[in-house]
Amino acid sequence: MTTASLDVQTLSVQFSGLMALDQLSLRLAEGEILGLIGPNGSGKTTCVNAITGQVPIARGQISLKGQSLSGLTPREIALAGVMRSFQIVRLFDDLSVQENVEISTLVRGTRRLEAHKKSRSLLEMFGLWDRAEDLAGDLSYGQKRRVEIARALIANPHFLLLDEPAAGMNEQESADLMTLLSDLPKAYGLGLLIIDHDMHLITQLCHRVHVIASGQTIAEGSAAEVIQDPAVISAYLGTAPGEGDKRGA
Amino acid sequence: MNMSYFLRRHWLTLAFLTGCVVLLAGGASLIGDRLMERVTINLCINIVLVMGLQVFMGNSGILSFAHIGFMGVGAYSAALFTIPSQMKNMALPELYPVLAGLSLDPLLAILVGGLIAAVIAALVSYPLMRLSDAAAVITSFALLVVLHTVMLHWSEVTNGPRTLFGLPKYTGLLLAASAAVLAIWVGMIFKESRIGLLLRASRSDEIAAAAIGSNIPQMRWMAFILGAFLAGIGGGLWGHFITSFAPKAFFLKETFVILGMLIIGGPRTVSGAVMGTLIVTGTFEGLRTVENGLNRAELFSGQVIGLTEIVLALAMIAVLILRPGGLFPAREIGTLITLRAKGKRMNSSV
Ligand SMILES: Nc1ncnc2c1ncn2[C@@H]1O[C@H](COP(=O)(O)OP(=O)(O)OP(=O)(O)O)[C@@H](O)[C@H]1O
Ligand SMILES: [Mg+2]
Repeated sequence: MTTASLDVQTLSVQFSGLMALDQLSLRLAEGEILGLIGPNGSGKTTCVNAITGQVPIARGQISLKGQSLSGLTPREIALAGVMRSFQIVRLFDDLSVQENVEISTLVRGTRRLEAHKKSRSLLEMFGLWDRAEDLAGDLSYGQKRRVEIARALIANPHFLLLDEPAAGMNEQESADLMTLLSDLPKAYGLGLLIIDHDMHLITQLCHRVHVIASGQTIAEGSAAEVIQDPAVISAYLGTAPGEGDKRGA
Repeated sequence: MNMSYFLRRHWLTLAFLTGCVVLLAGGASLIGDRLMERVTINLCINIVLVMGLQVFMGNSGILSFAHIGFMGVGAYSAALFTIPSQMKNMALPELYPVLAGLSLDPLLAILVGGLIAAVIAALVSYPLMRLSDAAAVITSFALLVVLHTVMLHWSEVTNGPRTLFGLPKYTGLLLAASAAVLAIWVGMIFKESRIGLLLRASRSDEIAAAAIGSNIPQMRWMAFILGAFLAGIGGGLWGHFITSFAPKAFFLKETFVILGMLIIGGPRTVSGAVMGTLIVTGTFEGLRTVENGLNRAELFSGQVIGLTEIVLALAMIAVLILRPGGLFPAREIGTLITLRAKGKRMNSSV
């Protein structure tokens, strides 16, 4: 293993009887964009939550560059260099847009002025500089999503996990976002995990795609490969064999 | 914190709030009316107390009932250093001999009182800072009860439930007003500091704050300590203004008044804390005059008492229903003035 990576090994997460993740393994390398797709309720968000310490894991291992993350709090995982966005945007609504971004580098000890400069260049890059002074709560949904990504990026993460970053965006915003995201791995040297239902976005952006259903991997490969995969097709049609039995078991 | 950046952004708010205090104190001293002077000193001390509560509650978003307990700690601690030693035999007959000889300049004693309150807050509160919501509120209430009980029963240093007397009258208009202005500045600087920003973020979304790497309990802890320090200072100032007090002065009634001021003004802003204190104190004094007037006119068979508390309670309820964030829910007064001057359309959250 030469490149640094975020490794998820046979990870299981259980919610009172429901196996939300069932021995899931996946690997995200620095510099790559991995798509994580699957039908509603297949466990994509849970996977991100488990990696960032927001839900307890039942079995399995998560390691960052060979170091186990188990037992770490969300805060410690963030400080170790794994940042995320949330499926339902979580901004600090009553802070200004710029403060929302600054804050996650300030928490790492960056000086005020420096944080200010960094956040400015990110906000410019995301086309939000003219809203810098506004309260984050007053932005449109698409703008909020971009602020959330900027907030994660300013921390210079090794790995960035985005849960449906384009949801709620109009076509133009979504296209702009794609351009932005596609440059990130090179510009920041980070590994990017993208969850999305928009197959166009996934196909355009992702170097590899990982498909899950009912918390299990059903296919892996390039976007072109996985959309041909019979297991994937049937999962999306809701007829994955045995799906009904595994859930709630 | 970058001070010039801070001042550039907040000079108008600071100037406005400082100006209010200076005008009131200056006015009271020029007019020279005793009653007005008393009211203004009380008002300034209340600003110190409310600012202390704002530092913790406003930034962290967690309601704390313990605050006034630390005011008591400050008042009793400072008193130990300022009651003249020949008076201590009478005022504190059971005092430990080691403490009998303590003596400090009142100003220093008030500062020490604040520090002792801060140290006690630091020692007892850390485990509580992990809690949020109802659990945090209940435990802060429990802490108030503990502090109150200690004041009631530790006769050696508090004279128990009886009145402690013999403090020199030291707090005048100038000292009270200076303390109020300092408290406003401290609160404003804290709010805009790194810790203040992280706290306000956790108030807004605890999960997201943890996900960016913020140590929420630690940030809350620091705010709690600073809040207790200001409460302790407020207690010392008040003690050396009133010169005699009993533990009941630092319990539910005072808690309710201070909370009412902060909630009506708006806990999230320093402007709210100060304006809430001004408005409530002003209304209180007005009502007290009415109450006295009614009693003097003997319109009713009995005495009219408790009018002020009832009005405060109703005002709090009204504000919570009509304007849940208080009169200044989000933006400081300087920002509001600037926005209005720019003629910028203001958003609904203002
Ligand atoms: N905190 C929780 N408590 C109980 N059950 C949960 C919890 N979080 C998720 N689940 C359940 O786990 C399963 C996986 O949910 P998850 O949110 O991970 O799916 P998803 O793939 O992100 O779906 P979507 O595409 O709709 O976002 C679902 O059945 C969901 O109801
Ligand atoms: Mg999801």
